[in-house]
Amino acid sequence: MKHSEFAETYRNRHKLAEGWKKSGKKVFGYFCNYTPEEIIYAAGIIPVRIRGGSENIELADTHLPSICCSYMRSALDQALKGKYNYLDGAVFPKSCDMTRALYSIWKRNIKISYYWNLPIPGKSNDAAVDFYIGELRLFEESLEKYTGKKMGDDSLKQAIKLYNENRALVRELYNLSLRDDPPLSGSEMFEVLRAGLVIPKEEHNAMLRKLLPALSSAKGSQDGKVRLMIAGNTFETVELLQAIEESGANVVVDDVDIGSRYYFSSVNENEEPLRALSERYLRKVLCPCKHNAQHRVYHILKLAKDYQVQGVILLTQKYCDTHLYDRPWLESKLKEEGLPVLVVDHSDIGWVGGKFKTMVQAFVEMVG
Amino acid sequence: METKQEKPATPFKPPRLAASAALGTLNEIYYRDLANAKQQGRPVVWITSMTPIELVYAFDGIPFFPENYAALCSSRKVAEDLCKAGEARGYSQDLCAYALCTFGVMFEKRGAFGDEGPPAPDILLATQGACMTHPKWWEAMQRHYKCPMIIIDAAYTVDSDTLSPHHREYYASELKETVRLMEKYTNKKLGADKLREVVTFSDQASALWDEIDEMRAAVPTPISQIDVFTCLFALVTLKGTKEAVEFYKQLRDEVKMRVDNKVGFVPNEKFRLVWDMFPIYHNMRLLNYFAEFGAAFVTDLYGNAFSGRLNVADPYGSLADRYLSFFMRAASWGKAELYKKRIKKYHVDGIVFHSNRCCRCFTAEQPDIGNILRDELGLSSLMFEGNMVDPRGYDDTQVKAKIESFIEMLEARKYPKK
Ligand code: SF4
Ligand code: SF4
Repeated sequence: MKHSEFAETYRNRHKLAEGWKKSGKKVFGYFCNYTPEEIIYAAGIIPVRIRGGSENIELADTHLPSICCSYMRSALDQALKGKYNYLDGAVFPKSCDMTRALYSIWKRNIKISYYWNLPIPGKSNDAAVDFYIGELRLFEESLEKYTGKKMGDDSLKQAIKLYNENRALVRELYNLSLRDDPPLSGSEMFEVLRAGLVIPKEEHNAMLRKLLPALSSAKGSQDGKVRLMIAGNTFETVELLQAIEESGANVVVDDVDIGSRYYFSSVNENEEPLRALSERYLRKVLCPCKHNAQHRVYHILKLAKDYQVQGVILLTQKYCDTHLYDRPWLESKLKEEGLPVLVVDHSDIGWVGGKFKTMVQAFVEMVG
Repeated sequence: METKQEKPATPFKPPRLAASAALGTLNEIYYRDLANAKQQGRPVVWITSMTPIELVYAFDGIPFFPENYAALCSSRKVAEDLCKAGEARGYSQDLCAYALCTFGVMFEKRGAFGDEGPPAPDILLATQGACMTHPKWWEAMQRHYKCPMIIIDAAYTVDSDTLSPHHREYYASELKETVRLMEKYTNKKLGADKLREVVTFSDQASALWDEIDEMRAAVPTPISQIDVFTCLFALVTLKGTKEAVEFYKQLRDEVKMRVDNKVGFVPNEKFRLVWDMFPIYHNMRLLNYFAEFGAAFVTDLYGNAFSGRLNVADPYGSLADRYLSFFMRAASWGKAELYKKRIKKYHVDGIVFHSNRCCRCFTAEQPDIGNILRDELGLSSLMFEGNMVDPRGYDDTQVKAKIESFIEMLEARKYPKK
């Protein structure tokens, strides 16, 4: 098993999904780290993350102003072009203003038989956890109605176990980057992470189980590179990680939505499932949409220390409000702690590699 | 097109409302009270729109709305500089210009009148019920002012007309928690009588606002959109006070007199339009430009978001209903549904969308709202880009050209040449 197979999987994700459909499976698309995938999985449905891309927008602009993040514009564009025709359902958790607004835009313009808008509290105190349990129950009931089958605690527990296994395996992979000579580069890691969003967890687990032993014993390929961390939200442009590598650096850890923020925290298996899910999603996923920047600073500093990071790239999708409000303070805090910071505004659409590379080269030279 | 729209040589000026004088006085008193708040021992509470202002007045506090203040800065032409000052501290120009301008005020201690700006907050109070900008912006201010902050959660329910009970319960529990914290931070107990009084005044102001709003359906429509936006000040900032009620009574009577006498604010009303969403504070006169072609705005939903009936017998329950169900929280089709009702009742010919470049939250669905109204009612629409507060990038000539061709199209549809 090589990391390139993960990249291959991701590239073929639409074909794969169409294949599952042919074999009688149902596939749901979802947005954002706040969707409790375990519940979808427990209903016998394959959840896949709806992603964008970097192609130019052709159809979305008549439905969505260009001042919205490139992720949402591009995802909508792809759906309008029919790339997501295989979806049986789509789930929109209310995390940012975009996931809220795009729910109605998708529902009106993209023909999918099942839509669900999932309200998510903005707090994580006890009242919020209880409230969210109520929402999860409504979601569960609606899925039961959709499939015509009762879900039962057992299938939910199994799903939680499977997802936790996946998280644990990915963490093992991250642990390899603690070494002075990480065996995977940041861009290779990115492919492994990204593939996990779009295939069933048991398949991702099987792939990881093959990949891990080979890597653990291998001598690292990333010895002697400047160790960087990337923190921000989502992006699709793997080339930017490659550009970092070409500049003599390597991303050894991240705080981004499809990386550690998605994979690190697990669900308590000894608790009542919906409560455990509610607690995990509200309390352990530290996204600026739901958490004060303070929480994230501690988290980022800890990661930086553990992974012996020499500098942080704060990468934000243009027009992503919640991240943009936190960024100036985050930058100043990290700098106060002695961490060099590079601030980058990113858009997957129309990404300019040359400009990014110049910035990164200068940064790497400075911290290296 | 062979007929160009005729326009009078001098720019249009709507007849002045007698009530504007009263509004000016209210404004003055409010800013004087704000300046003296600290001496009088009244807590200054900075709040966002869609936060229950009633609680602030119930604690004898003075609410201060940075949104409103940024609008003031914009109309006084100092917003651009203040926004730039916010940018200089690392805040993106793409962010909500209300926030950006306030960051300028905050960092530079510079106000709308070349003064030091508003008094610093004793408490920062916000809601998560409208946009994500509010809580994130408030967190940024909290890091600066280091004062207590309360954020009221209001989980979104976009798809339902009826709120499920657990949403109301959650919000009511948030309100009670807010009261508990306000008592702690202000060292005052909330009096039940005081809350009832405030809720009653708030409800009365809303009822009067709704009455005025209904009267705009008259042909010709009695009051200009500029007046509506301007008079909104009392509903935003003074709701819960007796003064707001008195003011809206006076305004209601004046508007009613105009309706009874069939006095319109445009001399020859030819077209009746809806305005979607934010005013353009740095160029309010643009609204008059429509009037030059005999086009009058007869309704908007923006202003109505600030009105909401309350029930004095159930203050918390009715506050929950009110602050969980204002129209902005509806999905695109829910908003379109509200417009559809008004379009018939107000005899509307077209809708104008101000695509406010800094507010993703409420511009994202505008194209689809327009699409729904076009598909279902054949309604014509105009969309143009701007920024409610920051004048940079706004192209007045281009916008006016768009308006002219929109009017031409309306003319051809409504008054076709035989
Ligand atoms: S990138 Fe930001 S604005 Fe876009 S969907 Fe993600 S959190 Fe929302
Ligand atoms: S203008 Fe938009 S982003 Fe700014 S405070 Fe209002 S709703 Fe929020």
